[in-house]
Amino acid sequence: MESKRLSKLPEKVIIPLKQHKGMPCVPMVKKGDSVVIGQKIGDCKDNNDSSVHSSVCGEVLSIEMAPHPEGNKVLSVIIKTIESDQTVEFTPTKDPSPHDLIELIKNSGIVEHYGVPTQSVLKPDGKNINTVLINATSSEWIGGKFSTPEEYGTQMLEALKLLMKAAGASKGAIVLRSDDAESIAAFSGIRFEGKQLEVAPLIGSRKIGYYLKDQGSDIVVVSQKRIYGKRILNFFTYNVTGKKVPVGCTPADVGVAICGVKSAKALYDAVYQGKPYYETVISLEGLAHCPPQVLVRIGTPFKDVIEACGGYPSESGKLIANGMRTGVAQYTDEVPVTKTTTRISFQKPEDVSKDEAIACIHCAACVDVCPVELVPSRLAVLADQGRFDECRKMHIENCIECGKCAVICPSKIHILQLIRYAKDAVEMAYEDIPAKESSNLKLGCACGGE
Amino acid sequence: MTFTISAPPHRKSKITFKTIMWSKVLALVPVSLVSVYFFGLPALSIILAGILAAVVTEAGIQKMFRHKITINDGNAVLIGLMLSLIMPPEAPIWLPVVGSFFAISIGKHAFGGIGSYVFNPVLAAWIFISSAWPQLMTPLSIPHVGQLSDFLLENGAGLLVDVSPIALIGGVYLIYKRYVEWKVPLAFFLTMVLFPQTLNVLFAAVELVRAGVLNPLMYLSLMFKFLEISNELSYSMIGVVFFGILFIATDTPTSPVTKRGRLIYGIVCGILVSIYGYFGNYMAGIFYGLFMANCVSSFIETTTLPAAFGSEGMIGKFYRRFMDKVPSSLKMGVLSND
Ligand code: SF4
Ligand code: SF4
Repeated sequence: MESKRLSKLPEKVIIPLKQHKGMPCVPMVKKGDSVVIGQKIGDCKDNNDSSVHSSVCGEVLSIEMAPHPEGNKVLSVIIKTIESDQTVEFTPTKDPSPHDLIELIKNSGIVEHYGVPTQSVLKPDGKNINTVLINATSSEWIGGKFSTPEEYGTQMLEALKLLMKAAGASKGAIVLRSDDAESIAAFSGIRFEGKQLEVAPLIGSRKIGYYLKDQGSDIVVVSQKRIYGKRILNFFTYNVTGKKVPVGCTPADVGVAICGVKSAKALYDAVYQGKPYYETVISLEGLAHCPPQVLVRIGTPFKDVIEACGGYPSESGKLIANGMRTGVAQYTDEVPVTKTTTRISFQKPEDVSKDEAIACIHCAACVDVCPVELVPSRLAVLADQGRFDECRKMHIENCIECGKCAVICPSKIHILQLIRYAKDAVEMAYEDIPAKESSNLKLGCACGGE
Repeated sequence: MTFTISAPPHRKSKITFKTIMWSKVLALVPVSLVSVYFFGLPALSIILAGILAAVVTEAGIQKMFRHKITINDGNAVLIGLMLSLIMPPEAPIWLPVVGSFFAISIGKHAFGGIGSYVFNPVLAAWIFISSAWPQLMTPLSIPHVGQLSDFLLENGAGLLVDVSPIALIGGVYLIYKRYVEWKVPLAFFLTMVLFPQTLNVLFAAVELVRAGVLNPLMYLSLMFKFLEISNELSYSMIGVVFFGILFIATDTPTSPVTKRGRLIYGIVCGILVSIYGYFGNYMAGIFYGLFMANCVSSFIETTTLPAAFGSEGMIGKFYRRFMDKVPSSLKMGVLSND
């Protein structure tokens, strides 16, 4: 089922010039300019950035620092909207070459949900990609702009081929969630390259390498347990391909590119319809009349999305961008939907967890839930005491920040927060780990530093 | 509109320390009721005295040191109840009071409170009072499972908790509900069962060797000895042992957290208790055995810290080393997964 478009046009949209990890774009419009849908308003300079487009028709009110759902303020173009459907001319590309595709991705502003522009995932500087994976474990097909399951299946396969072509990769796989019967049914129905597709489960040592050989094809569709978290890429790569990504490296170092359903669909649209990435589907949770998903224009403030969905169910509460487990709680609803927004959730005050942390009782619940075999209880204690070297010895970098440990803990210890704190410290202290681009945490030194 | 902000995760599980403690107390209610029914008023007064003393001690200590008073979380109630349940019914009423006081003040708070104590407070207190007043702590009889109905109601019960092993089933339910983890109790129980059976086989084998039997079939038939329920089991499968497995061994601060560590800890508990019980009796054996297992628990934990995910286990390493030695011409169809 296709998701409905948000019923009301917002009064103004806030389009951040930085919706990816990297440098902000250079604005291409100035105050007072009028823009139309799909017009490029921010240009990117290098391979690791991604351009942005206007999602509405209207007039540029200002270009200023505005709140961003990730927490910091970001230079954004604020546009007063007018009711109009005028768009720039969309021209489909016929038979694109790999180079065309990369340029197209860059110019259409396609960004992965984890924040890296797709072209730099597919063509990282100085590295070769040989396998492209589409991670479809977290988005159900209903969440997209697809009218039928078959359409989802075929378009995803087409998109995968495009992605592989752009990356120059020889192999590709679509990874589904093993408990998502709908998606599995959507794929098992289709014929692809003259063969009935089969969704193969990833079990034990049967990784995609096995299935690629077994089915004698370059593209396979596999299923596995759901993995979520903020830093899942390395673990995901290991789970799907069996390749171990060394600490401090990215999947690109072992030749793997991971894309999401949204960016795959965006590329498909860019190629076959010529549309840039200016709309996205987000899930909603906890609002008064909330449909499970809506199609919104990028830049729509959360406030307008919430109003269009019946408003807040209570006077106060917690507004969360991107899911209950890893999302960021917002201090204002004037933040816009960006390319990396996947969900808006609202918690009523009575649901907001207010537990007080007590001492760890060594119940081992966190050890049992951790998907990457860490000992979160120990890491939390070490992080709390500032013993970061020891954290590192216990492989703290492997943590995928899924938050399961903090959810299950009966003592309600803020394990995830402590682990992140230690991870940041480790990342700053060791040279073999590339520095993270931004962090909300400032590590103070106790003797009068920051 | 006001917004709350805090770090993720934004939704946490409903199981808290408090619910775990109170559910353990609840799981012990049936056996307490049966013991009151069986032993009458003395049992009731022992239980009440134990709980009351524990709660008062906890509140007093926390008040004295200006800590937050945490008697609501049920931990003190649980300690008091557990301690009372391992008293003989003839014990004078001040005995559980002294025991609870010791358990809470020395066993729990002197070691740093919840999560920090090295020895389970109940165990520590039991050892203290049974060495201080051995004649009061020795039960009149030590139970022995003669028939199945003994699981339901044990007439030879020496301690309150011995009256009905089946009434401890609540502990199993807690494990099933994941309030309590399962690795320690399962490994513990299996070791307790397998140990005497293995001894059975060993003794029979020694017997055969002594008799100078040479027929290998005779030795092979020893296997069946393994399935024969040994006498030892009827002494070990008593209420207090189940209590130890389900409630004391699963006291989390004194067991390792690592996955492998918990299995090893369970086995160590089982072996220590079995050895002790074999030479002495299982009633004292379960306490001393667990006490000794507590001593090695943190050692087990630090030696079983897991490696990073995806690293090879022992078997994998061995296999790799083996395959490296095999000349490549002999390897057939060893896939290289590029
Ligand atoms: S340590 Fe916690 S947040 Fe990190 S991977 Fe394990 S369970 Fe997830
Ligand atoms: S879940 Fe919480 S209380 Fe239990 S071992 Fe982990 S950190 Fe400690």
